[in-house]
Amino acid sequence: MMFKPSSPLLSGLLWKIPWRMSRPQKARQRERLRAVDRVVDTVSAALERNGFQAKAVERWYQEMPREEEMLPKDKYTIFDKKEKKYRKGIHKLPKWTRVSQRVNPPGF
Amino acid sequence: MSYFRITLVRSAIGLPRRSNDVLKALGLKKRMATVFHPVSPSIAGQIMKVKELVQVQEVDRSLTKQEVHLERKPDPGYYVEKTSGVEFKETTSL
Repeated sequence: MMFKPSSPLLSGLLWKIPWRMSRPQKARQRERLRAVDRVVDTVSAALERNGFQAKAVERWYQEMPREEEMLPKDKYTIFDKKEKKYRKGIHKLPKWTRVSQRVNPPGF
Repeated sequence: MSYFRITLVRSAIGLPRRSNDVLKALGLKKRMATVFHPVSPSIAGQIMKVKELVQVQEVDRSLTKQEVHLERKPDPGYYVEKTSGVEFKETTSL
């Protein structure tokens, strides 16, 4: 059968984002976090070798945890004041595959 | 002096104007485009602004656009045969 009736197809605008991420989604999220770490490491090593310093790089190392240092809670969920228990899946964040979201507001 | 070899792997469509402008400043106009910039704090700062979108390597020299293209050229799958005299002349002259 070509047409499979489902609620998003039968009614108009109905997109549903599942409340939690799937296992491959989480694996890809970890891969992306590691890719960002790799970029920062490369930039920092290159600067050091040439005797330079950059504020943005130093600040990243001071403030941001690496992928392996992060808790699963911080890798896959994000703080939201409107949510029960103040957490929601990071896949609800707009452009979540292209932004760095690693730390929580103080106290959360 | 070494260079950053920067490749744009994710597009900045829908991201803030700032990240689009940084890519423009780096000379990255489309996905999978590669540019070379000397290692310096200002270039490092620009890379940090778009670190989620690019791949970075440190290289010794900057390649031209054609050299980057030739890296991806596949093996033609054949070779032109030459007489032994021609081949000897080519190898000895080098």
